[in-house]
Amino acid sequence: MATPVTVEPAPASPHRFGRITLDMRQNLPPWKQAVFLGGSLAIGLVISIVILAFAGISPGELAGELAGVANADSLRNTLVQAAPLILVGLGASLAFRIGFWNLGIEGQMMFGGIFATAVSIAEIGPPSLRLLFMGIAAALGGMFWVLVVLLLKTRFRVNEIIATLLLNYVAMYFLFHLLYGAWQDARSAFPQSTPYKPFERLNDIGFNVNAGLLVAIAGVLVAGWFIHMSRAGFYMRFISSNPGMAKVVGVPIQTVTFWIVAASGACCGLAGYVNVASQEGRLTQSFADGYVFSGVLIAFLARNDPIVVAVVGFLISVLFITGQQLQVFYQIPFTMVQMIEAIIVIAVASSEFFIRHRVRWIR
Amino acid sequence: MQLKKIIPLAAVAAMTCGAVAYAAGFTLSAPPKIAFLYFADKGDGGWTQAFDEARPKIEKALNMKLPFVENVPEVAGKITPAAESFINRGYNVIIGTAFGYSDTFKTLAEKYPKVAFLNASGTTNGANLESFYGRTYESQYLCGMIAGAMSKTGKLGFVAAHPIGPVNWTINAYELGAQQFNPKATVTVIFTGSWNDPVKERAAAQAMADQGIDVIGQHVDTPTPQIVAQERKIFGTGHHRDLREFAPKATLCSSAWTWDKHLIPTLKKIAAGNWEPSPYGAFPGIKDGGTDIACCGASVPKDVVAKVMAERDAIIKGKQIFTGPMKDTTGKERLAAGVKIDDGGLWKMDWYVPGVIAQK
Repeated sequence: MATPVTVEPAPASPHRFGRITLDMRQNLPPWKQAVFLGGSLAIGLVISIVILAFAGISPGELAGELAGVANADSLRNTLVQAAPLILVGLGASLAFRIGFWNLGIEGQMMFGGIFATAVSIAEIGPPSLRLLFMGIAAALGGMFWVLVVLLLKTRFRVNEIIATLLLNYVAMYFLFHLLYGAWQDARSAFPQSTPYKPFERLNDIGFNVNAGLLVAIAGVLVAGWFIHMSRAGFYMRFISSNPGMAKVVGVPIQTVTFWIVAASGACCGLAGYVNVASQEGRLTQSFADGYVFSGVLIAFLARNDPIVVAVVGFLISVLFITGQQLQVFYQIPFTMVQMIEAIIVIAVASSEFFIRHRVRWIR
Repeated sequence: MQLKKIIPLAAVAAMTCGAVAYAAGFTLSAPPKIAFLYFADKGDGGWTQAFDEARPKIEKALNMKLPFVENVPEVAGKITPAAESFINRGYNVIIGTAFGYSDTFKTLAEKYPKVAFLNASGTTNGANLESFYGRTYESQYLCGMIAGAMSKTGKLGFVAAHPIGPVNWTINAYELGAQQFNPKATVTVIFTGSWNDPVKERAAAQAMADQGIDVIGQHVDTPTPQIVAQERKIFGTGHHRDLREFAPKATLCSSAWTWDKHLIPTLKKIAAGNWEPSPYGAFPGIKDGGTDIACCGASVPKDVVAKVMAERDAIIKGKQIFTGPMKDTTGKERLAAGVKIDDGGLWKMDWYVPGVIAQK
């Protein structure tokens, strides 16, 4: 039997259509970075709109609805949501800058809420200063919970990723212990503390802005000054870019690390304070749920820059509120909303690649 | 039934919040547009799915569509935008589905006095806000009876979420029901600390099966304990919905919500303009749309079913299963002979009847 002869096509030249090469970029000017970021965001939105069109929602209809979303209530809700998101973003980015992987954001928020509530229950300070004292206590609470881990890390070389993450559960059960026990609201017999008094609440200060947002903005400004302008901030950049050299030239690594980690915990504690004092009005079970993921995401997207954290925190809040609106208007499933949120986040994250690399096509 | 039976605690709370008499009734300024806020995923297999299954029945009865938003957690910052996006589109009846919405719904009800708010398992009420929950102890008592009849070892288990009044009363009811068939029956309780944690629920149910427990009851939001019961070839009884769907062999019966029975008449009243929200919340039993028993698995003998159904009739006619003399596990008298528990005592229940083995 004759074997049919097959003629192999000539192998294609690997460079027939040229090559794609990658170069590292040095410093891209900020406006160009913004262009890349905006372009990626647009691509993400286009993909989302196409998916929504397949789900039966026409782009024109969508634009009309989203324009209607920009009302006072939505803006207020977006800003209220943004405050804790910005604070946990700051908490994460400060710690990440010196390579301390703080995944204990939720636990530190819980301790912030617990310390603030302790001030309320013990009635420490006059009514006019109560909110301030609660805020300070919350910052100390967050600090306390993260410094436990720093101690474990420096003394016993315990990995902080595991320790911070698992201590979230310890914090949660301590919170439950209080809410099902000593601090339980006797009037409702449900797991929540008695409501705060009116002067213990962060209220709206006009223009649809809640006082919680002021706390977040103050945090951004202090962290921005700290990282970009202070001596400790300079040490911090030194430590993160070359720890060995920093040690040799006598940078006080331990002191700087201590204060940065403490500041990270304080930001998370304040995020807990903002949630309980502005939104909840009392200590509840779930005021810190889900913030580890948000905090890490915001810090990553903002590349650990405090000012950018504020912008990204606001955008994540917009993304969340819009996602909920989509569900309301079109009854699209929650999973689809999550998918769209993920597409936009991935699109924005991938702009990082083009900011860091130049892609060239060589023919 | 006794919808307006006083819950003293809620009454105090209502009064301190400044809500006084609002017997004048509530009237919408436009035809009703009704929307749901769901606590979890609409297909969670339990609590939220029970609402999503009542929804089409309500839609049919009222001849309108009821939109919903899923996964609205118990945080003011997530509840408010969801509710307001409906209100801004002209929706004027908002139905919430979680205890943790209570404070936010109170705030929203004051901000939007022309919108009617209903909230399942909430604690707040007002001129345009009514919380509602079911007398779940009635159906759990009936399930406990079947569990007591079917258990060979006399050791029952109960996977529960949180040690709060509405959970504690289902645990006690389960034990009291089991004692109808087996006076020596015990109920071992494990609290998972969460309404929806299939991993812990599985671990708890498996630990129970290892200890020789052969019927597992539950008050958590997922069907996991039933699935474990089926895997281990023992029995279980479900809650929220008829869980035979997940464990046809194991699930003997379920204590299942009949929300449409409560919500259809309530929503019709709101639409007609003669709704008078109770200052103490609505608290329907089997008769008026709380939980009923979904019964029974093929392995339950007919005479057991007959006895359970007789008790169900007695409950519908007004039998209160928490009637003294009743002591707690420490021997302290909780209800004197002949005394029926009141609603305040139910919501505050932090004690267990003898035969319950709990961590607390």
